[in-house]
Amino acid sequence: MSSGTLDGAFCLRGTTLEEPRRSLVAALRGGQQCRSQRAGKDSECDPGGEYRAVPCAGARPVGTGLHHVLVTAGPPLCGGDRAPLSAGAGEKRWLWPYLKYLKKKAELEGPPPPVPRSQQPNFDYHAEIVAFSKRLHENFSIQLLKTAFVSPSYLVQEEGRRRELGLDSETAALNLQDNQTLAAVGSDFTVSYLTSAFQQAFPSLPRAGLEALVDYLTSQEVMCHVAQNLCVEDLALSSECPLSPETLEKTFSAVIGALLESSGPDTTGRFLQDFLITQMIGKDLFDMWPVMDPMSLLVEQLSQRNIPLPEPRITRQSGATTVLPVYFVGLYCDKKLIAEGPGETVIAAEEEVARVALRKMFGFAENRRPWDYSSHRQDISDKKAVHAS
Amino acid sequence: MTARGGPSRFLQSVLQNGVGRYVCQLKRLTLVFSKDAQPLPGSQVGALYILSVYREYIEEKVVDFAKQNPGIVVYVSPKPCRVPKLVAEYLNGSIREEPINSKTAEEIAQLIQKMASQSGLDIIRIRKPYHTDSPSIQGQWHPFTNKPTSMNLRSFDAISQQTDSP
Repeated sequence: MSSGTLDGAFCLRGTTLEEPRRSLVAALRGGQQCRSQRAGKDSECDPGGEYRAVPCAGARPVGTGLHHVLVTAGPPLCGGDRAPLSAGAGEKRWLWPYLKYLKKKAELEGPPPPVPRSQQPNFDYHAEIVAFSKRLHENFSIQLLKTAFVSPSYLVQEEGRRRELGLDSETAALNLQDNQTLAAVGSDFTVSYLTSAFQQAFPSLPRAGLEALVDYLTSQEVMCHVAQNLCVEDLALSSECPLSPETLEKTFSAVIGALLESSGPDTTGRFLQDFLITQMIGKDLFDMWPVMDPMSLLVEQLSQRNIPLPEPRITRQSGATTVLPVYFVGLYCDKKLIAEGPGETVIAAEEEVARVALRKMFGFAENRRPWDYSSHRQDISDKKAVHAS
Repeated sequence: MTARGGPSRFLQSVLQNGVGRYVCQLKRLTLVFSKDAQPLPGSQVGALYILSVYREYIEEKVVDFAKQNPGIVVYVSPKPCRVPKLVAEYLNGSIREEPINSKTAEEIAQLIQKMASQSGLDIIRIRKPYHTDSPSIQGQWHPFTNKPTSMNLRSFDAISQQTDSP
């Protein structure tokens, strides 16, 4: 800070009346170039915030011969014996220890507990709910959507709070439903819709694989990720903050349930396709479906299809004696190559080739056709047929 | 420091936005301004002028903006502050503040439009201007990539001669 802020008529907050001499010395050091009375204005514009030198109405003027200085009571002066580091260092010697103390205090206390967005300023619950519905381009019934965001713990907490305020139990009872039923409806529909959608898309995938895919998409991790990025967390009414993953997952299921009850299964199916099935992008089949022994699964699948058992053969190998060997194993069924896969050891390559063969068989190869996300694919084909006729 | 020193990320979107349907990522917009003009230290433009411009925007355009974007909740909050500002909150939880001194009503409208079209992801250097979920159509390189297929053939003449000779 320049010494310009301290010249002229000013007062030193942070000095005591018992120590006028010290403050006078500081004032003299700071105000040597001062010849005018305009400093009052300067100090008002000082960016130092609360701790700046300000003119004080009730302060007592002390004549020094050169200037007059106002001295007032304030926080005690700390570190007064230390030699100033620069020309202006002595002027606010209490500031640095005070900031240090604040920093230490913040470190000890840690960050403040999170406050739910609904308790922060600028939050209109009804407007937010309507905007949530519009944002997703869905026609939610607002009443159902509001119910979907009420978790049972909120009801318990709110009724307890009302009772504490002295309301009798009849008045204290909230006229609200919780989202248990909607969550159950929503999660049931999600599982059934996803199962049927995957059955259509991957007809050759066995039952265990279908279940694994559905389990992956309805897992807490994926559901919470989607819910967090759709601002469900802000709107959910719950006693806990931040929301636990279980509550968040349940609330999102309840939102799906509310959509199902207000717009029907077609719209809800499209919603799930747009927000849940998109989470499969970039995922491999065996990321979602952990298969420990792919070769035995392959043998099982081949025997179901009446194809002779596969015969693994090393097709290529390189650098077998080096630290980076590579083996290529091919699988032959009936003297025809069905898959080929690499690996660092022959065993790893054999496992990999079994996975490659399974992916090919289940229609989950890397070069498969991407999922058709167009919302009206059925309608468009119907319309085309109508126009053609 | 060069651009390499700063933080960077890959091109991405929130929740694969746009693959299924497009969801506007701006969820809440707060216009903060002071009711009476407060002095701005070191400002070239008069505080009254800024306030009048902001008021012009609030009076004439903000309702239209809110009507056009029903998915964005717009709050107009008059409270004592030196610099009027825009606070944008995005679906992924990020919050962005923009001070709006020395801007015309038109510029404020443009700024708000820009905020509404952003995703809320960090604005940092993007390492590649493209993204693909299948980085290689051909597959990963291995020692046999682009090798002549004749290498696959092996003649067993020598072995058969050895077996024939005794």
